[in-house]
Formats: sequence, structure tokens, C-alpha cells
Amino acid sequence: MPALVRMDRTGAGWRGTFSAMAGPCEVLLDTDDSLLAHTLAQLACAEARRIEAKFSRYRDDSVLHAIHAAAGAPMRVDDETAGLLDLAAACWELSGGRFDVTSGVLRRAWTFDGGTRVPADAEVEALRVLVGWEKLTWRRPELVLPAGMELDLGGLGKEYAVDRVVTLLREEARVPVLVNFGGDLHASGPRRDGAPWRVGVEDPGREDRAARVIDLAGGALATSGDARRYVMSGGERLGHILDPRTGRPVRGAPRSVTVAADACVQAGVLATTAMLHGPGAEAFLQAEAGRWWVTR
Amino acid sequence: MAATKGTFAKLLAGACATLGVAATPSRASEVDTAALAYVEPDRVKALEMVIAANHDLGDGLLGRIKFVYDALTGASANGAVPVYDAVQTFTRPSGRGTYRIQPGDTPLDDTFRDARGALSAGLTKPLGRLTKLDFGVYGSGEHDYTSLGANAALSRDFQKRNRTVSLALSVNKDTISPEGGRPIPFAEMLSPSQTPQRLDGDGSKTVLDGILGVSQVIDRSTVVQVNYSVSVADGYQTDPYKVVSVVDPVTGLPTAQLYEHRPDKRTKHIVYGLLKRHLSRDVVELSYRFMSDDWGVTSHTADARYRLQLGGDPGTYLQPHLRWYRQEAADSYTPWLLDGETLPEFATADYRLGPMTAWTYGMKFGRPVGENRRVTFRLEYYRQTPDNPADAPGQLAQVDLLPPVSAVFAQVGFTTEF
Repeated sequence: MPALVRMDRTGAGWRGTFSAMAGPCEVLLDTDDSLLAHTLAQLACAEARRIEAKFSRYRDDSVLHAIHAAAGAPMRVDDETAGLLDLAAACWELSGGRFDVTSGVLRRAWTFDGGTRVPADAEVEALRVLVGWEKLTWRRPELVLPAGMELDLGGLGKEYAVDRVVTLLREEARVPVLVNFGGDLHASGPRRDGAPWRVGVEDPGREDRAARVIDLAGGALATSGDARRYVMSGGERLGHILDPRTGRPVRGAPRSVTVAADACVQAGVLATTAMLHGPGAEAFLQAEAGRWWVTR
Repeated sequence: MAATKGTFAKLLAGACATLGVAATPSRASEVDTAALAYVEPDRVKALEMVIAANHDLGDGLLGRIKFVYDALTGASANGAVPVYDAVQTFTRPSGRGTYRIQPGDTPLDDTFRDARGALSAGLTKPLGRLTKLDFGVYGSGEHDYTSLGANAALSRDFQKRNRTVSLALSVNKDTISPEGGRPIPFAEMLSPSQTPQRLDGDGSKTVLDGILGVSQVIDRSTVVQVNYSVSVADGYQTDPYKVVSVVDPVTGLPTAQLYEHRPDKRTKHIVYGLLKRHLSRDVVELSYRFMSDDWGVTSHTADARYRLQLGGDPGTYLQPHLRWYRQEAADSYTPWLLDGETLPEFATADYRLGPMTAWTYGMKFGRPVGENRRVTFRLEYYRQTPDNPADAPGQLAQVDLLPPVSAVFAQVGFTTEF
């Protein structure tokens, strides 16, 4: 078996790193047991890749591919997919249509490369026909997705993978772990010595700034926002967060939002929904989140 | 920071729970609020409000702040003896006005009315993996009393964290500026028309405390803790509102009321032991405390609590509480002085320094309410029975010299973590 996971000794335990979910993944294991650490890191890597493969938009053996290929025909999905669809339905409803896993197709029109190319209204309107959770029919376990529409579980999948890995490792051994997939992370609890994990969260809103250091005694953090992905329109800088209700970037959104919650999926949905509230992001977080950090 | 999470977050948490993935509560801050009512029937009524917050300041630094507000009204024993068949009249501490005590009743000064505010704050900082440093400051004020203090503690873990040794030091400076000034020790309580003699200035004392503690994990479910502490108080410790009755050796009737006098220095030694054992679901806690000081006071406190988990909900419990307290009197304690005998160097008739036995019976109920919130209810009954002297002269043998004192505490507490 190829060495997919690189293992390094850290001050207090082991670090396993591998690449999945389109980015660097890291698992910190607070144990001196080398064999156990290696085993757990391998498990983490395998689980991350399993979820990535299952919900990839680009692989023709993925569940998403099968859903899209059904082209309007009813399709039964497995329990895990059904769980994520239930969550997607809840998010859409709770956010008043802002959080919508069918909005991925809008990216065909928008290129957030720092340039000035803004799509024509007609182009956006043509795609909007394919956006809207209300247009599909989801009755667990059966999904009817109209032809041409697409699901993008990317907004949930990575955070879900982080939580799944924590669950899996927790079942396997009583070792304090911190799972960090490209800045979305979850700690199983405090470290062996009771101290919190010191987490450097890169602030994607400010590349010039040093990572924000957050002490996490347990629970999850997720960040939404990417400073490099924007488009200039009439002198205005439009970030990459698209409002599915208009098909256009959210005006007045923060550059980045980081939220702490009990699970990474919760943190991720809260962070993304906050971005979708634009100028109201802080007010939303004030009402809904525990600890949060916003960069404007 | 939001005090409570909104609907969105709550429903989202519910939706995530069905995914079957781990949720790890992240606890960054905690706010406690409590309201306590304390009633000694016919004597004191007190109402207390507490608000306390702990906050994770990052870098392992934990901050805490606490505010307490008390309002007290009622009457407290002034130290004088009751009189079997006559109304007694006492001058109020201010020197303006009097209060009357009915025949046979314990003399209670009903001018006892006060409000107190106390604020404390502290920081805990880790020094490496095993050592913790803690600092705190404290200040409280009421109309005749202020207290300022500071403390520091160092603790270190040993034996793979199975043993923690801690050393704590604190210093407090208390100032009393009693209404009507500080009486000269053993001066006679005069009628309001006479000008009393008073000591100059306020009374103040400095209290230094040192505690050495060891807590040891015995096995997976048992923890033992032992503390030894020394407390040295130096300064004015006389209660300016209390008197000692001088009584006729034959009739037992008071001939004068003299303001009490206590030593300026008091050194206490305290040993405390706690055993805490987790049964399969319940928790038993037993503790014992022994105190001895150079005023001659010794006391024993035995305390037992049993936390009974209720139902399937891990946070719901019922905790009965039983405490026994026995105190032997201070050398300077005397329920009266005999007319014609030489005055001792110190004398106090304060029943709190006398020989007594006290029992506390309590019950506490706690349960979670919603996410990260807990509510607790506590109800306690306290009964203190002073030893009555056997050799009471004259009428004192016929009065209820030191009646038992009962009190009821009721508390509602509310904790929010976020």
C-alpha cells in the first residue's frame, strides 16, 4: 500500500498529513503510541477519500454523478446521502432560501479571478432556471432532480468529512484528536493534559495577516470566505458568495467569517449563511453563533 | 457574545444530530446567576443576588469575574442577657434613640439593616503543561465595612496528573467605621442623653491566609483532597455593636451593659479532608474540617452529600446534604460578667464564639434546561443550639438565655455556557 499519509512526531504526539478534498488534510493525535497514531491517521485518510469519492462532482462513479445522470427520473439514495439531503433541506428552509445546494450551476457564469468580467443579465437568468431547492422533490429515500439541475454538496461535504473522521477515531480509541481539513476543523476534546488545542486559523480574508490563533478545548471551527476570489464590477469588489435567490454575488458580505460550533457541519453552515446575510452577517452571528470572528 | 443561540442554530444542531456525526460541546464562557434568600425567623432576613462569569481569554488564559449584592434587614443579638420580669431599654449604636426588649426575650438590636456589594476578579494562567498560576482581587463595601483583598495560587500536577499540589496565599484589609464610632472596650452603654466615649478613627485589620493542598486520585472513581491552612488576623476584631451584661451575683439582674473587647490578634489552623467517590451513576462526597485558634476556639465540621442521578438525563440530579458542626468556646467568651469581680482582659458574649452544636439539612435539585443551560434549586434548614451555662445566678436560671437559632436558605441558580 502506498504511503498516502505522512507521519511526523510533534511535541505532544503525532501529526498525520495527507491530501484529500482538494487540499491539505491534517490529523493531530495526542498520543505517544506510534502504531496507534499511524493506524488512526490511515483510517482518517481512508474515510476522507471515501467521502470525497462518493460526493465528487467530477468522478463518474460518484453518487452525485448518478443523481445528475438520472436526468429527472426518480432515484433512491443510500442512508448517508439521504442524511446530507435532509440536512440540505433543513438549511434551505432555515435560511430562507439563502443556503441552497442547487446553486452551484451559477458558477458557470461567474469567474472570480480578480478580473472585471461580469456576466450579462441574460446569462444569469438562464442559469437561475436551474437553481432552487423548491424545484426538486425530496421524499426520503427518493429524490427527483429535474434534468439540468445539479447538486453541489461541496458546501457540506468537507465539514461532514471532518465530523465523520472525529466520530470514527473516537470510536476506535480514546485519543484526543484534532482533525483539520483545509481550515475546517474539529477537536474531540481537550488534549491529554487538559489544555486546549492551539489552532492557527488562516484568515482567508487577509492574506497579509498572520494566522488567527484560537484556543479550542473541543468542538469545531469552520471558515467561509476567500479573499482571492472576487470580481470587480464598476469599481465595486464582489466576493465569490452567490445568492441563489438573485444569481448574483452577495453585496456587503464580509471577506471571511469563522464560526465555532459543536460540530464542523454546524460551524460551516453558520459561516456560509452569515456570508449570505451580507451586511447583516454580524447580526446573524450575534443571534445564532457562540464564538465567531468576522473580517471585513 | 450571544447569551443564547437562536432558532436557526438550534434547528441546525438538530438536523446535524440526525447525520450521526460527533458533536463536541465547545465551552468558551459560562455565566452563573443565583438568587439566595436567607431567613432566621424573628431575626435576620437576607436576599442575595450573584452573577458570575468565566471566560476563555485564549492562550490558555481563563478570566473570571463575580458580583454579589446582599440586602439584609432584621435584628441580631446584642450580647446582653434577657431579664425575666422587666422591659429592658438599650441605646442604639448611633447613640440616637433606644430600643426596648420585652421580659424574657433575648435582646436583639433591630437596627441591623444593610446592603453589601462585592466584586471579585481573577485570572488563571498555565505555565507549561503541568503548572498553573492564579491571581485574584476582591473588594466589598457596605455602609460601615469595607474589605479589600488579593490572592495568588500556584498548582502543579505530578504522577501523570494523579496528584495536584497547590499553594495559595491571600491578604485582606478590612476597615470598620461603625455607626456612632468605636466604643472604648468595657465602656458602659450610656443613655442617649449622655455623650459616649469613643476610640479615635476606624478599626482595621489585616488577614493573611496560606493554604497548602494536595489532591490525589486514588483509583478511577475516587479522589481525596487534604488541605492545611493558617490564617492570621491582626487588628481590630471587637464587634463594636455588642455588649456583655454585668449581672448581680445573687439576683442575676443586669447592673450594667459593657461594650465587649476581643484580642487584636487571632491565628487559626485548619485541617480539611475530602473524599469524593463516583459510584456507577451517583457521587458521594464526605468531608471533615478541624479548626483550632489561639482564642481557644476549636471546631469540627462533618459534611456529607450524595448526588443521586435521576432518570436517563445525565444532568438531572437530587442531592441531599447533611452537616454537623460542633464548636468549643473562645477563652474570652462569657455569657455575663459578675458584678464585683475583676474585669478580665477580654470578654465577649457573642453566641457565635460560644459553645454550640449546629445541624444543616439540605436538598439540591439540578437539571439541564435547553442546550448548555442548567438550573439548580437548593433548600436548606440550619439549626444552631448553643450550650446553656449550668451555673446561671438568680433570674438567669429562669430565662431562655441562649435560645436555638434556626435559619432557612432557599436558592435558585442558573448557569449558561456558551
